[in-house]
Amino acid sequence: MLDVRGVSYAYDDVAAVRDLSATFQRTQLVALTGPNGSGKSTLLKLLARVLAPDSGSIAFEDRKLAEWPPKEYARRVGYLPQDPDPTFPMRALEVVVSGRAPFLGRFEWEGESDYEEARRALALVDAADLTDRYLDEMSGGERKRVFLARVLAARPKLILLDEPLASLDVSHVQQFSTLLRDIVDRTEITVIYATHDLNWAAAYADRILVMQRGSLALDAAPPALMRPDVVRELFGFEAQVVGGWLVPARP
Amino acid sequence: MGKSALIRPLLLLAAALIIALAIASTFGTTAVSWRDAWAGEPTARTVIFDLRLPRALLAALVGASLAAAGVTFQTLLRNPLADPFILGVSGGAACGAAVTTAFGWARIPGVVSLVAFLGACGATAAVFILARRREYTDPTRLLLSGLVLNALFSAIILIAFALSPAGDLTAALRWMMGTLFGATWSDVVLLLLFLIAAMIVLVFIAGDLRMLAFGEDDARSRGVDVERVKLIGFVASSIVTGAAVAVSGIIGFVGLLIPHLMRLIWRRDYRVLLPLSALGGAILLVLADLASRVALPAAELPVGAFTAILGVPFFLSLLRRSR
Repeated sequence: MLDVRGVSYAYDDVAAVRDLSATFQRTQLVALTGPNGSGKSTLLKLLARVLAPDSGSIAFEDRKLAEWPPKEYARRVGYLPQDPDPTFPMRALEVVVSGRAPFLGRFEWEGESDYEEARRALALVDAADLTDRYLDEMSGGERKRVFLARVLAARPKLILLDEPLASLDVSHVQQFSTLLRDIVDRTEITVIYATHDLNWAAAYADRILVMQRGSLALDAAPPALMRPDVVRELFGFEAQVVGGWLVPARP
Repeated sequence: MGKSALIRPLLLLAAALIIALAIASTFGTTAVSWRDAWAGEPTARTVIFDLRLPRALLAALVGASLAAAGVTFQTLLRNPLADPFILGVSGGAACGAAVTTAFGWARIPGVVSLVAFLGACGATAAVFILARRREYTDPTRLLLSGLVLNALFSAIILIAFALSPAGDLTAALRWMMGTLFGATWSDVVLLLLFLIAAMIVLVFIAGDLRMLAFGEDDARSRGVDVERVKLIGFVASSIVTGAAVAVSGIIGFVGLLIPHLMRLIWRRDYRVLLPLSALGGAILLVLADLASRVALPAAELPVGAFTAILGVPFFLSLLRRSR
């Protein structure tokens, strides 16, 4: 479905992604992890067409990204930046229905069917009760769900989420991870999400990518990551695996 | 919701604007009546058709231009404190006007307006070029460039005023404070053309502009050509602001206050706020100009003061009642 070949990108002179290749199939929950500054956000932006690669190519459904008409691509691939925050107060339903924008013509407004899609998406993330609430009255976890619904409202085939679990408490991390797993299983889409939480990623994802200085250091099923030697090499600390969970080794 | 949400407030504001225009052309320091004017009585005709009506219409057009530019700047810069003058448009215009005055050319009809308009366009272009890097225009750099250029313009204005012929200073100061005194039908037609052109352009990009509410990356990922939309939006709103400033001087508060007022009342996105702000700005400025004419029997007060005096209490009461 998505084919990344030898992609590089630099901000001015600072390389963020270096010669990275990977392929993604349908119905996968992919966790993208790695230290801060390793290029996770940049990779997601390249896949979302927010940035264009300096070299290499990305193809979605056998067609290069640059050849996709922007709105056509936006109907199939949804992207959620790290901290989306509307400048002015908005209700959840208005936020979610704006996710239908790629389907509208230049002078076209959202119709009843778009509002239906928005309500369906809110129900899918278990946020139907938030429909008429204002974003700035919501908790962090509620906002994350509303923004996920906004992405889902376009019924994309591929979803790219930049650290959706950041700043959530542990019960919300669990809920949101379950939600992602559930959405992948039920709708057969692929979700690629950046995260720092190795344990939660390993527990829910089908596949884990670890980035290091702009390149892929590991691309494997979760068990391959959950080993002290791999953690030492990739993340630079001593860990042990207790009951399937990584914990720091006490000196 | 959707498009139909626009119709009711639009009709409401349009009706209010017509009433405001009728009041503004009926009342003034001279007692004349519409009936006499229609009957052909010369004083009444002159006062109503040549003085009050073009002045009220020009006030409406200036208010609409500033409010439309204001809501566009707030959306583009994602900054609630943005107003039409934030990127140096007013500074450039005032600078042009002040320098013209210093050279003693201010008495030639039309020159101040023309130079002010050129100053506004020049300032906008300068700010844009300063802020652009790697084919990307960063909103923070835009704001900073505007701020710095405005400081430079203030310096030039002070020097120009110090060198100006004393007799021309009163007119120059009045222009700086903003005034609709001396409005002509040709001003009305000229600004109407600018406003229509700008509104067509802004309506054309309105759907893309509202997607900027969630940030530029988000908009890009949804297929919006963000750089193009920014450029078109900035140029259209700067030019219409420059045209408004050229005919009326610098009238504050309308462009900042009205978009927030509309947002507090109707809470909708840019596509709705653009036409509502234009109408709201028109109403506010027509009423403010009327107040500035009739508040004192012998003197005209600055209209910019009345936009604040009329607008601020209304705004504050709304703000208190909102969440």
